[in-house]
Amino acid sequence: MSPDLIAGFIAFLFTLFIFSYLIGDNPLFRIAVYIFVGVSAGYVGAVAFRQVILPDLFVPLLAGKALLIVPLILGALLLTKVSPRLTQLGMPTIALLVGVSAAIAVGGAVTGTLLPQIGATIELFNTRSAVLSAQFFGMIFNGAWILAGVITTLVYFHFGAHTTRDGAVRRFGLIELIAFIGSIFLAITLGVLFAGVYSAALTALIDRFHFVGTLFGLH
Amino acid sequence: MRYIAVAIAIAAGLMVLIGYFVPALAGVQSVLLNWAIILAGVAALVGVFNLISVHGDKVRRREKGSIYSAILLISLFASFIFGIALGPDNPNMRLLVSIVIVPVETTLMALLSVTLLYASIRLLRRRTDLMSIVFLLSAVLMLVASATLPFGEISPLNDLVRPWIQQVLALGGARGILIGVALGTLTTGLRVLFGADRPYGGN
Repeated sequence: MSPDLIAGFIAFLFTLFIFSYLIGDNPLFRIAVYIFVGVSAGYVGAVAFRQVILPDLFVPLLAGKALLIVPLILGALLLTKVSPRLTQLGMPTIALLVGVSAAIAVGGAVTGTLLPQIGATIELFNTRSAVLSAQFFGMIFNGAWILAGVITTLVYFHFGAHTTRDGAVRRFGLIELIAFIGSIFLAITLGVLFAGVYSAALTALIDRFHFVGTLFGLH
Repeated sequence: MRYIAVAIAIAAGLMVLIGYFVPALAGVQSVLLNWAIILAGVAALVGVFNLISVHGDKVRRREKGSIYSAILLISLFASFIFGIALGPDNPNMRLLVSIVIVPVETTLMALLSVTLLYASIRLLRRRTDLMSIVFLLSAVLMLVASATLPFGEISPLNDLVRPWIQQVLALGGARGILIGVALGTLTTGLRVLFGADRPYGGN
């Protein structure tokens, strides 16, 4: 038996064990999932050590970069999170990670999403590239629909409300109406995304059938 | 310790944020980002050690299902030790990934095709309102328009309706969601940077 055939057979067993979930939760599915979690966690740990901690911390530290003593100490403090008694010692490290992550998130949200998306929405009405009047009206028509989608979707997530005389909490009438239109845009968007995910899942299903077919020489 | 944590979070965050706009602080920003990458690596190791601790306890106490925990620990130690010794790029480690991680991930994704179909049917049976119908209609329309049917593609559906729904209606909604998420991220990030939210436990 060649090593490739053994590897293929093991992969087939994992495929079969996972597919067994279709008849309900069972020991074979659990074994496959627990092995998957164990192997993945071990692999992630090995990657973190070999490709981040070793080359970015230990190697430069041994080469004389004394400033790296700070992340070394912070990293050691973070390791105390494993013990419930010493968990407080890891707080400064978590604080540094949270602070840096928040700053990256703020910078990313502004420069990576807000400005480009708003700019792209404005650019829809830039009709300088339109040569024919049909193109001009087409751009304005589509741009208006997209702009309506953006605004109504944003309004849908506006939850400011007031208390009515009967004590119920409601949004203002106009906001409620715009939010309703936004919900239609949202439903269409989520439907399109769902179709994309479903296509990917079907592709994975076909890939598995193809793999099993190839392993047993069915094609 | 709490005050130190708050001070570290605010100082580090503000220095990284200001580093985007003030070139003089770009060096400090780079150093802090490098430290954060190293600490994120250590955090991944802490996560692995925590997994070992939780499942180790289950095995020690011989709890129900501890056999699965034992299987998890064996596979974790095997891949961790071999990964450290050989390196993640080693052909044997790649083989481990291709015979365990890839088939399981792909099959779980394949299972999704069944569970999503089931969820769609349940949605129609349990909640038949306008949003559900629009959602399912647009999903079915997209799938039918993009599918290769036995009698060929339905031309107007594929050439006109699908691109218009995808590139106009869905784009508007998706852009609204993206801008909403970015605004939410911005608000949450600023609350952390000003010390109003302290998810690291500095309350």
